Amino acid sequence: MNLFEKIFNYQVISRLDEAGSLALTSQERGWLKTLLEHPASSDAFTAGTLAKLQLLLKAEANTEISDVIIEKVKSHERQVYHPLLRTLRRIMIRSGGIRLNYRIKHGGVKSDQTGFPYKLEYSMIKREWYLIWYNTHHHMLMSTKLLNIVSVEEVSLPSDRVEMLKAKLADLLDSRQEQAAIEVVRTYNPELSRILYAFSCFEKTVSYEESSDTYRIQVTFLGDESEFLLSKIRFLGKRVRIVESENLKRRMQESASKALARYGVEEPNLKRL
Amino acid sequence: MARESFDKEIQFLRMLALAGGAYSRQQFAERLGISVHTFDKTLRYLKEIMSTVYQRLPRDQGKELSEGLRYNYYESADPLLLFLFRAKSLKESESIRLSLILTTLQLQSLTAMEVMDACSGSMPDDFSLPDEKTIRGDLKYLEEIGVIVRSESGRPYRYKAANDLVTQLSDEELIDLFDFVDIMANTQVPSVQGYLLRDNLKKALRQRSMDATVTEPFLYKYHYHSRILDEAHLYTIFQAIRQRRKLRFLYLSPKRTKSYSSKNTNPLFERETEGVAEMLLPLRVVYDHQYGRWYLIGHNSRQGIMKFRMEGLTQIEEGDTVPEEEFSHKLANLEEQLRHSWVTDTGRSVRVVARFYNPDRSGANFVKERVLSQGQWGTITEETDSTFLYEITVNGIFEIKPWLRSFGSSCEVIEPASLRREFIAEWKEIQTYYEPLREDL
Repeated sequence: MNLFEKIFNYQVISRLDEAGSLALTSQERGWLKTLLEHPASSDAFTAGTLAKLQLLLKAEANTEISDVIIEKVKSHERQVYHPLLRTLRRIMIRSGGIRLNYRIKHGGVKSDQTGFPYKLEYSMIKREWYLIWYNTHHHMLMSTKLLNIVSVEEVSLPSDRVEMLKAKLADLLDSRQEQAAIEVVRTYNPELSRILYAFSCFEKTVSYEESSDTYRIQVTFLGDESEFLLSKIRFLGKRVRIVESENLKRRMQESASKALARYGVEEPNLKRL
Repeated sequence: MARESFDKEIQFLRMLALAGGAYSRQQFAERLGISVHTFDKTLRYLKEIMSTVYQRLPRDQGKELSEGLRYNYYESADPLLLFLFRAKSLKESESIRLSLILTTLQLQSLTAMEVMDACSGSMPDDFSLPDEKTIRGDLKYLEEIGVIVRSESGRPYRYKAANDLVTQLSDEELIDLFDFVDIMANTQVPSVQGYLLRDNLKKALRQRSMDATVTEPFLYKYHYHSRILDEAHLYTIFQAIRQRRKLRFLYLSPKRTKSYSSKNTNPLFERETEGVAEMLLPLRVVYDHQYGRWYLIGHNSRQGIMKFRMEGLTQIEEGDTVPEEEFSHKLANLEEQLRHSWVTDTGRSVRVVARFYNPDRSGANFVKERVLSQGQWGTITEETDSTFLYEITVNGIFEIKPWLRSFGSSCEVIEPASLRREFIAEWKEIQTYYEPLREDL
């Protein structure tokens, strides 16, 4: 098996595109056949479709490659699929609105919340699904765990209203974007690769100043993601330092002094303040 | 003929993806150990592929490629780095022929001679007409990779595109299949074939007039995009493991010192001449979810168990096979040693005990949730209303340390005492990073 097949060549693909032709290789089908054995497939398809797919792929060989792969430090896979995915994504295709009942953090249920669904988001860290939606009553961008949704029904919306909601969503997302600059502490430049890998899951740009041999990572994130960014920064410890974002800097300082307090170390600085 | 190597392109794209924008042409070329001329040539080639594959990308994407690959989280659902796997070089005449043959066979089954006639009719004027031998060779290739099927009925054989997986499905079923492939390719490893299939299904949906609202409903938060570059080596290694075959390669690792940190220094930024020729019996591949990185683990007669970052592997070649007995003995030994590895450390095992503090606020206990979810085989014991103890036996403390530290003040290391001291020292130093300047007071 070769991932660099001639048939995957970019010129071939572009010609096939123009002609509206498909080239499905057995390695793609083999991959699918293997993945259909994952328990998630029963939530992904109706029983009829699943049986049909299995029949269509009967002659393919399984790729047994997962036998040689050991996955480490993977978060517990709470869910890969959620039964509501199919329902919600169909509403999204029709640009429909939603009426939701969902459980909230501190107990209780919010009912009859109307809104417009934007995207279904999977957290690779928590390994579960969220619905990002616009709450039309409170004019707020929401992120709700699918696990917490008690019920959902579709509400039809006129198309001009849909366009307006889409524009509003884009504005809201923009307005919630924050920036932080993180500097690689120079002593740790030899570990640059590891540091950049750790930040490679964020939207970021890297700059390098040759005269001081300093790397700086400019991260763009949504406000409520600062907790995760901070955990990454703590993960890397002394290797990186936040240089821009007063909020994150303050949080890191708090983190350090509170951590030291756990170990019974008093810190004169804070006391003086 | 030796297989075309994509080492240079992989290194190139990895550097773009990780350090995007940081370097000038000169600096970039220097760090890859190539000339500026080669840098320009490689960039031109990659840009050409990218603009061909992603015709619908905004115009400034070409510019972006030279400045680094930047993902706009809410706007790009396509895995940008996938175009690496489109880089196989091909003569133009061959690319025209293969696509003509496949197009001819989309809706009808034809014999080799009929295919040849159809191709000859559609071949652009400036290319010579294919002969029967060439067409038969092409059909054989397409059949081998499963893109076309040969019908059961006797000679002359008839061929047809193997598109049943798509054509047999209703619109609704095709959407479900697209979703499944999209989700599995993004959340599971390995994923390259899934992404290739996703491209095909996306095309099929477009043919049925279903647009972007259909193909881009999902987002995956905190994804390690560059992980798919390392999959380029995965199948070579898989094959070798299956055949109990040794691999030879040039490993772009820097210093050979024994310290943990230098083992992890980036081979990417080192010149090729500093690479080390290695010979290894591959046993397993490890995927580290903390960084989205791959490791090759194997056995070498001189040094025993060895671990290599996949990104440092270049010029991989197959070597001799070993007897089954030898392979299984070494594999069993490795599995035993990896049992307590947080990632790949096979050093002496240590008992680590940490106290975790539940959040003050009421509501979800996200500290405990995270420990339960990520703490691997460690165990939890309730201590007080506000704390619990986490205990784990793990090979060495280096790999687990960043994870414990990421909890900040919610985690207090109890044992080993040396690790506790290290944490105190580190937090003190981190605190100095954020101290207000004394002059200000």
